[in-house]
Amino acid sequence: MIARLVRRLRALFRSDTVDRELSAEIELHLELEAEELMRTEGLSPEAARRRARIAFGSVTRYREEQRDARGVRWIEESLADLKYAVRVLLRSPGYTIPAVLVLGLGIGATTAIFSVVTTTFGRLPYPDADRLIRIYEQNSPRNRWTTSVADFQAVASQARTLRVVGTIVVRSVPVAAGAEPQTMTVVPVTSGFMRALGIRPESGRLIEPADDSVGAAPVVVVSDGFARRWLGGPAAVGKNVMLDGRAHTVVGVLPRGLNRLAGFRADIWPVLQLKPPTRRGPFGMWMFGRLADGATLDDCRRELADISIRLQGVWSDFPDRDTRLTPYTLRSWIVGDGARTIGVFGVAVILVLLIAVANVASLTLVRTLRRWRELALRSALGASRARLVRLVTIECTALAVTGAALGIALGAAGLRVLLAIGPFIPRLDEARLDARAAAFAVGVAVLAAIVVASYPLVLLVRRDPGASLSGGTRTVGDGQHAQSVRGAFVVGEFALALPLLAVAGLLLNSFLRLQSVDPGFALEPVATARISLPVARYGNDTVLAEFWTRMLPALGNLGGATLVSLGDALPPDPRQNFNQNNFDLIDHPVGEGRPQSVSSWITVTRGYFGTLGVPLLEGRLFTPADTGTSPPVVVVSRAWARHYFSGEDAVGRQMIEGGCVTCPRTTIVGVVGDVRYDGLALPGEAVYAPMEQGAWRRTLFLFVRTHGTGTAALPAIRAALLAVDAGVSIDQPQAMREVVEGSIDQPRHLATLLLGFAVAALALAAVGIFGLLSYIVASRRREIGVRMALGADARAVVGMIVGRGLWLAGLGAVIGLAVAVVTTRWLAASLFQVSPTDPVTLGLVTLALLVVALVACWLPARRAATTDPVGALRTET
Amino acid sequence: MAERADLLQGTLDLLILKALVLGPLHGWGISKRLRQLSSEVLDVGQGSLYPALYRLEDKGWISAHWGESPEGRRAKFYTLTPSGRKQFAAERSEWKLFSSAVNHVLRAT
Repeated sequence: MIARLVRRLRALFRSDTVDRELSAEIELHLELEAEELMRTEGLSPEAARRRARIAFGSVTRYREEQRDARGVRWIEESLADLKYAVRVLLRSPGYTIPAVLVLGLGIGATTAIFSVVTTTFGRLPYPDADRLIRIYEQNSPRNRWTTSVADFQAVASQARTLRVVGTIVVRSVPVAAGAEPQTMTVVPVTSGFMRALGIRPESGRLIEPADDSVGAAPVVVVSDGFARRWLGGPAAVGKNVMLDGRAHTVVGVLPRGLNRLAGFRADIWPVLQLKPPTRRGPFGMWMFGRLADGATLDDCRRELADISIRLQGVWSDFPDRDTRLTPYTLRSWIVGDGARTIGVFGVAVILVLLIAVANVASLTLVRTLRRWRELALRSALGASRARLVRLVTIECTALAVTGAALGIALGAAGLRVLLAIGPFIPRLDEARLDARAAAFAVGVAVLAAIVVASYPLVLLVRRDPGASLSGGTRTVGDGQHAQSVRGAFVVGEFALALPLLAVAGLLLNSFLRLQSVDPGFALEPVATARISLPVARYGNDTVLAEFWTRMLPALGNLGGATLVSLGDALPPDPRQNFNQNNFDLIDHPVGEGRPQSVSSWITVTRGYFGTLGVPLLEGRLFTPADTGTSPPVVVVSRAWARHYFSGEDAVGRQMIEGGCVTCPRTTIVGVVGDVRYDGLALPGEAVYAPMEQGAWRRTLFLFVRTHGTGTAALPAIRAALLAVDAGVSIDQPQAMREVVEGSIDQPRHLATLLLGFAVAALALAAVGIFGLLSYIVASRRREIGVRMALGADARAVVGMIVGRGLWLAGLGAVIGLAVAVVTTRWLAASLFQVSPTDPVTLGLVTLALLVVALVACWLPARRAATTDPVGALRTET
Repeated sequence: MAERADLLQGTLDLLILKALVLGPLHGWGISKRLRQLSSEVLDVGQGSLYPALYRLEDKGWISAHWGESPEGRRAKFYTLTPSGRKQFAAERSEWKLFSSAVNHVLRAT
């Protein structure tokens, strides 16, 4: 078998040598035969040689047969065809360049999105990742949230369906590794978290069970990148990192390139040491686990439900009887909502690819018709139809493979652009254009080649090119059939482009509406920064209160600042990185065992409303009389008041906060304007609590109203704070305008990218209709000449051509519109104040499509109208 | 020249193998031996001899090497391989079965 392969390869690649050997063999045969003839029949050497040659037959034919016998003839012929195809393609750049470019763009976009899809939905970088779960608290199909210390300790000690379980919290704290402290995202974890994931450290060890107990030495695992940047790389283990002003010993370094665990991106992973809980809440911890061998997700769900019921017996402070600890796969948590964004992109690129392929198929069809005479000639000269079919196939394949090569390059570039823009797609930063994506590109190219080659091939099989040579027609398909095929391509292109335009239009419309939403506070003169105080020196409320009571008035005069205040949330924040709290209204209690209402719960200093320009609508704001010893008060937003006290007066009402029945009741003292905390798209229901009543936090957002604009006052404030305590970390300085713009990055990216795809689709469709009409004009030059000679004016000719084009575009638009109306429905969740079938948007995009089509039709029509009738009639085209 | 018979499809391989059973031969030698063995009745069309030789070589039934011919010329010699020998035995018994069957049919009245 191998010997055979070697022989064939030798025949293929060393065909000169093989042919030479063959010649020698034939030569010997002829000589021996001639000698024999001379000897037996007494012929002269010349005559004997002639007879031997005649007896042997055609040497050339024999050689061909010989190659057939070697089983390489078809390869050799294909290579010859390939050489020929490349030469022909290079000779007609007017066809080849647009075709390769269009295919390359289509394949490139598809390949880039393919890389993203395979990454996002691909294997997670953990062993046996399908057995990893995240556990939520859940009380209805749509309402699930994080877990508590009590939940974690119950699950950790009772669950048998879980091999290991761990929990984490996410903090922003000052981190110092030699340099000035900076606020970083730090994720404290219990040992079970890293053990569940099954990762191995690059060096040192991970967090281990002995580290979990309260009082054990504080240890931390850092990312490889952090270790190399700050801790001297391999020497990191054993060094100290200051977290929150407290020294932690580095015990291990994560594997290279891994700075994201279970969807959380962080460089610092210290141990999380949990004290026994005193109540069921607060929630806010993420719980992860690995299923035990043999246990299914359903087993786990049932067991966790039992544990949930037992927990309700232990803790009475959380009265919701419907709440269950519920497991979901880790993958579903990581992919999350990203699936919809990817789905939109995926559909968009497939539509663009289809339009691109239709365009190239249409171009190729025209080309085949123009080449019919050449094919006829080849057929007459003895090329079999099979050989012609192969020729066409190889040409299309060469085209598609070149398109694939270009597509892979463009796809890699497109992926980099996508990374730079950074729409919210889970694991986008892990996406690479790998071998699999390249194989995908080639596969798409092959499919494209099949589509592109199909009509020419059908033509070749149906009609014998040899026959057309004798018939005297120079081309086929000037007739109706080929043109109706091309017409169908054009209709299809517009039918595909319109839904894409509709989606882009809807997303753009939605984005513009979102952009014009009033965030509920003054934009221009307000700047913000994040400030973290280290826990070592600011571990309790008294110290924090002292620090800020002293500092806030002092900061108010620096660098043009007029008002300075603090809050624990930075609006608008669609990711909702702020506190929520449950409450029960005294006047409208939810009842025994029912879930209490939950609302955004923002803690602010007194000056907050003035700094941000949030108007007071009813009642009062916080005053210096609201202190840690006075009765607790809150201010609510108008949307909150309307929700919970519809048609009633909210001021003066009381509530039980956080399920704490023994705490003093909280009184609503005022109603203020709506600040869009949960993002511009949401109404902005919020409760404000005064920080001065004892809710000081160590990481806070500073708000500064200045005389000037932007962040001019921040450097002076920063210097003043550092002068008081060098351990303070101040980062993320920005103007509130930037914060608002940043909050709608995601819809902006979605709209921008979709608009790009839609414009590409429309441009391709326009090129398609332009090409078809140009061809019609060129092939009907004589007819147009006759019409004009008989008195048709230019306007009638233009009308005829444009009418034909617009009819096709219009038909495509109608089909596309129907498709759009049916399919944009699933976009509803991504739209803000825009119906998925918004008539204005759909009308405008249809109009835009028809205008572009009109221009694309008018250009060839004008050329037709300027046809010189005499010239057209005189010349044979 | 004697009357010559056309070769039945598929018998050429058998004949070539038979010619080589007696020992290595070059191409012309094979054609000559077949003419001799068939008393000049069978004339292998040389145009089909060499493709057949390559085909058999490709199948691994014969092997080829360059050597010196009895006439003192460089020639390509073909030798039967062990699997070629087996193939020859198989084809020969097949042929016997086939020809006796045909004869049987022809004798019947």
